[in-house]
Amino acid sequence: MYSDGDTIVAAATPAGESALAIVRLSGPLCTGISEEFAGDRPVLPRKAFYGAYKAADGVLLDRCVFIPYPAASSYTGEDMLEISCHGNPLIVRQIVDDLLRRGCRPAEPGEFTRRAFLNGKMDLTQAEAVQDIISARCEAALEAARRQLDGSVGTAVNALLDKLLHVVAYTEAYIDFPEDDLPPESSEGPIAELVALQKAAKLLIATAPYSAMLRDGAKTVIAGLPNAGKSSLLNALVGEDRAIVSAEPGTTRDYIEERLLVGRHLLRVVDTAGLRIGAGEVENKGIEKSLNQIEHADIVILVLDSTTPLPYREVPEQVQKLSNRAGLIVVENKCDLPDSVKLSDIMPDAKHVRISALNGDGVEELRGVIAQTIESSCRVPGQDDVLVSARHAEALRSMSDNIALALEKMRSHEPAELAASDLRAALSALEQIVGRVDHERVLDLVFSSFCIGK
Amino acid sequence: MIGTELEPYDVIVCGAGHAGCEAALAAARMGMRTMLITGNIDTIAKMSCNPSIGGQAKGHIVREIDALGGEMAINTDTTAIQFRMLNESKGPAVQAPRAQCDKKAYQFRMKHVLELQPNMHLFQAIVSKLHYSAGKVKGVGTTIGADIYAKTVIVTTGTFLRGLMHIGRNKTEGGRSGDFSALTLSGSLKEAGIELERLKTGTPARVIGSSVNFSVMEEQPGDERPLLFAFYDTRGLPDDLFHVEQSPSLDLAERLLFHVEQGRGMRKAGWLPGSEQLSCWMTYTGDETRRVIMENLQSSALYGGEISGVGPRYCPSIEDKMVRFANHERHRLFLEPEGRNTDEWYINGLSTSMPFDVQQKILHSVPGLENAVMMRPAYAVEYDFAQPTQIHAWLETRAVEGLFFAGQINGTSGYEEAAGQGLVAGVNAALKVRGEPPFILGRHESYIGVLIDDLVTKGTFEPYRMFTSRAEHRLLLNHNSAELRLGEHAIRFGLMDEGRAKLVKEKIAKVRNWTERFEQIPAPGGRLGDYIRRGGDASPASADFHALSASTRDEIIYRVRYKGYLDRELKQVEKLSHIEKIAIPQGFDYGKVRGLRNESRQKLEKHRPETLAQASRISGVSPADISLLMVSFVSRNA
Repeated sequence: MYSDGDTIVAAATPAGESALAIVRLSGPLCTGISEEFAGDRPVLPRKAFYGAYKAADGVLLDRCVFIPYPAASSYTGEDMLEISCHGNPLIVRQIVDDLLRRGCRPAEPGEFTRRAFLNGKMDLTQAEAVQDIISARCEAALEAARRQLDGSVGTAVNALLDKLLHVVAYTEAYIDFPEDDLPPESSEGPIAELVALQKAAKLLIATAPYSAMLRDGAKTVIAGLPNAGKSSLLNALVGEDRAIVSAEPGTTRDYIEERLLVGRHLLRVVDTAGLRIGAGEVENKGIEKSLNQIEHADIVILVLDSTTPLPYREVPEQVQKLSNRAGLIVVENKCDLPDSVKLSDIMPDAKHVRISALNGDGVEELRGVIAQTIESSCRVPGQDDVLVSARHAEALRSMSDNIALALEKMRSHEPAELAASDLRAALSALEQIVGRVDHERVLDLVFSSFCIGK
Repeated sequence: MIGTELEPYDVIVCGAGHAGCEAALAAARMGMRTMLITGNIDTIAKMSCNPSIGGQAKGHIVREIDALGGEMAINTDTTAIQFRMLNESKGPAVQAPRAQCDKKAYQFRMKHVLELQPNMHLFQAIVSKLHYSAGKVKGVGTTIGADIYAKTVIVTTGTFLRGLMHIGRNKTEGGRSGDFSALTLSGSLKEAGIELERLKTGTPARVIGSSVNFSVMEEQPGDERPLLFAFYDTRGLPDDLFHVEQSPSLDLAERLLFHVEQGRGMRKAGWLPGSEQLSCWMTYTGDETRRVIMENLQSSALYGGEISGVGPRYCPSIEDKMVRFANHERHRLFLEPEGRNTDEWYINGLSTSMPFDVQQKILHSVPGLENAVMMRPAYAVEYDFAQPTQIHAWLETRAVEGLFFAGQINGTSGYEEAAGQGLVAGVNAALKVRGEPPFILGRHESYIGVLIDDLVTKGTFEPYRMFTSRAEHRLLLNHNSAELRLGEHAIRFGLMDEGRAKLVKEKIAKVRNWTERFEQIPAPGGRLGDYIRRGGDASPASADFHALSASTRDEIIYRVRYKGYLDRELKQVEKLSHIEKIAIPQGFDYGKVRGLRNESRQKLEKHRPETLAQASRISGVSPADISLLMVSFVSRNA
């Protein structure tokens, strides 16, 4: 059987909200992962079983249907596992992330098909077609990657590469030229450079969720007490932006999701069931779901009715909890009515905006505040800033992890060739983005930085 | 008569340098009727430049040559006048032995080994051309008018192909000071479609020791208990030969090491490798050196534009160092003895292509060399080489069947690099004659494999020297494991006698078993494996363990201590192994692979990799390109 020994993972269904989503794995880890989710039940080939998807750290992510396929009867000719989860992009992402932590790696474009072909799961007449599929997918991916690499990502990643190569060259010089007249070896410089590299990589990695946010929109939850005017607010916000709005049912049909543009930001707005007053108790499943939505939101807009002010202590407990949340905006609705009063004593630390969802007063101001909030609560890149894709982020994370291993050894003065081995792994992680780096580049740096040779 | 068209030799080796000697020995030891032709039998295995063998990565190669049944290691051990272990402050994977040799003793012993080798015909003549027929090599023509025929020919011309020596603006034809230049062979290679380019290298002046003031220099003695290059435990000797002088194994050691001299009245009773070592001496260039060089830069052959060949970055001339590192106050020099029975000294670090009069001034500007009397001036030499992308990974040329290249003709530098290739070329010529599949060393199993793979995959623009950093699986290639990594190849090819083969197999099994057992043996705070990885020693192991040879014990401890790293590297090797096996068909049309980027296509067409793994090592080639190629080949082969 053809195999590079890796288990690959990818979402098999398109990104976005849907009733169900499928995550697909292929490779040697599938059996172990199936067995873990099956618990005490036997894992039977091609027999679906239902179970809790618990992440490696024990957190319940979703309840899923698992279908294991042994190599003999699978698409790729390797052991496979299909996981059907709820079609929420966040859940899909969490499941994929968890599988990466369990040792899988993201599939390359067309890789499932490629493996299927190489393992003889397709006959010769299909070969040309497969080649077309792969070349088309690769071409698209390459084209995208090339555009990205020509631009800001390329510049940023190449800057990291240069720095890493300098450290590698320094370390290697002292390993390969012990008899040359080099200045005394010091690990301080390389350690400082590696720490700086980690920081730079971290900043780049932090832009990866934002690039997903750009694609999917910033999740914005409208919450509030019943009849505070949440739906009117959603209509007021959506009003002029009908062109890009698409109403999609939520996975549970307990909430409505709309997309709209605010400034240059795409918002995915979720209207939730009301948070009822009830001595701080969660009264029904709807409220639980609303709270769950709030938890995973980038922005929370809490709508209050300014005509029926509550003393702060009477605000429901679950709403009070929001007050420390980043990205919280308090909207005081119905400001056009005569009995409207200012509610600045409720959640005084959050930003307050007084509006009338009905006649549109203050809605423009609210848009401005939303834009500002996105920009301050998420690490929003500037125009020339770099956004890395999830694949790049994974490579950068792997680079960072290997640098951490190298740093540990350098600080505890372990033999230099061990840290060098980690640095080489860090370099090959970067090669996943920039392509093969010729070792001559390291040697060039060695010979230009040190007077070597007898 | 052997060597005629009707009864050709199996193998002819042209050139008896470090590559040629190993090539001829390997072929003859594999039962091939072998002729080794050299232009001058008195210069066999000549150390044309420095008197040392080994060092970082090179020392690893020498031990690999020993593991593959070659001669260089034992020839070095028996003729060395100083041993030093380099990099003792680092870990075992990047430590390497280095020796200073008695140059003449080295040559004489090698010549004698060749003379005593069955199937070997040593012959003096200058090869002037190659004979071909229908894309195959047929034999060689010589300047004495004789044509000699063979099934395979290994060309190891060193710096002799249109060799041109420079001292300032003075030019002399020759591959080495005092020697000839092979003027017509290049034409014969070009005729076969092999393209040649120029490289340059150089060697410093030699001085007479009696004119040197050693008292102002720093002495650099050898190691008291040196590590030798050859593996002796698998030859039935203690690893630590120095401490056996009083023991009964002395006789055995002498018989083994000096087998060549046995019965010829050359027995060196009472001397064993590593005893009676000589010192080297260290000094530095002075301010005056800089002034002399900067004033005369234009008269240097290099800076005066006389030389077109590219020289090595790692071995710059002294004028190069002064120009490129202008802020360095001084540059270190070593004086190294050329032998026991001579007072000639090599000045390591003072290589130059300056005219003779400037060379004298440079020499006298160095503290301790004020009155030094020069015996041979420094010179640079330019020579033809064939870009090694023109050969297969088994060192046969792509243009001519049965024609093999090894050593500097492939663009390398160094005695060790040459010898390693020579051995592989000799084995492959023999396999070719037998009609067996070629021998390709992997990057994960040897530095020689890394060397050849780099050459044939990427080519080279300067004389290629091995560095440990070139090996991505460096931790797997520690010098002590060479025999464990490569011994089985030598056994398979019959390059190792039965007694040693048996001991090597036993050693491989012992290392494997003990490495596993260490994870079970109790030790303070858990198991012995963990204890060692926490910095402990092997004292909790049983007496059985301590009775193993030192090299076996060291290897077991190494594998246990670095288990995590070694496992990681082995995993990477495993991951790549499948694409190592996918061959790219000869003359494959990359234009037909849909979706392949132009940039990648051009690179692949230029380098013509022979396996998918080689393709993946070409700079800029992406994983997506490899995917496309993989599918393309598989669909063609289906």
